[in-house]
Amino acid sequence: MSLDLEHIMNVLPQRYPFRFVDRVISFNEGKREITCIKNFSMNEYFFSGHFPGNPVVPGVIMIEAMAQAAILLYAALKPDIAATKPDFFLGRVEATFKKPVYPGDTIVIEATASKLLESSGIVETKAKVNDHICAKTSVAFGIKKHHDRYE
Amino acid sequence: MAPKNFEVIKQEVKKAVAAIIEIPESKLTDDIKFIEDLGIDSMMALEIVASIEKKYKIVIPEEDIPKMRCLRDIYNSLEKKL
Repeated sequence: MSLDLEHIMNVLPQRYPFRFVDRVISFNEGKREITCIKNFSMNEYFFSGHFPGNPVVPGVIMIEAMAQAAILLYAALKPDIAATKPDFFLGRVEATFKKPVYPGDTIVIEATASKLLESSGIVETKAKVNDHICAKTSVAFGIKKHHDRYE
Repeated sequence: MAPKNFEVIKQEVKKAVAAIIEIPESKLTDDIKFIEDLGIDSMMALEIVASIEKKYKIVIPEEDIPKMRCLRDIYNSLEKKL
C-alpha cells in the first residue's frame, strides 16, 4: 500500500479545509491496523473561534480526523471497493476525550479494524500526542455506491 | 464456570438487539423480520453482529449475515456456534 499524500488524496473524498490526515506512517495488514498523523498548525481556520485567545482543537475535528483514518484503513483492507470511490458516512461514534490538543501538536492516530464488511465497518481509534492518549473513538460507518445516497 | 443456559443467552441477545435498533423488547418477537418489518440497515446489522461476536467471542462470517433475517435466525446460528 502506498503511504504518500497522493494516495490519501485518492482515497479520501475530503479536501482542504476538511482533510485531517497529513500522512499515513504505517499499515499492518495482519493486525488490520493503520497509523496516520495530522499536524495542527496555528493557521488552522477554526482556532480563531475555538477559542479566541485560547486555541484548542475542537472535539468534533478530532472525531473527523479519526474517522478519516478509519476510511484509509478500510480502503487499505478493501482496495477493490475503495477503487469504486464509494461514499462513506458516519453511523455512530462513541468518543472519549482525555487531553486537549493545541496548535503545534501532532496527533498520531492508530486505527484498528474491529469488523469490516462490504457495506459497513466498525473501527477503533486512538489519537495520541507524544505517546499520551488524547482521544479514543469507536466509529461505525456505512459505505454506499456514490449515487445510492438518495435511493 | 458452568455454561450458560441457552434461554439466558437468548434473552441477552434479544436485549442487545432491542437496544441497538432502539425498540422495546416487547415488540421484538422471534420472527419479526429485521429488514422488512423493522427497517434495519446494513450498519445496524453490523452493530448487532459485532456486539454478538464480542460478547460470545465468536466470528460470524460475512456470508452468514444476510441469512440472519430475524431473531430466531440469530438464535439458530448461535446455538450451532456456542
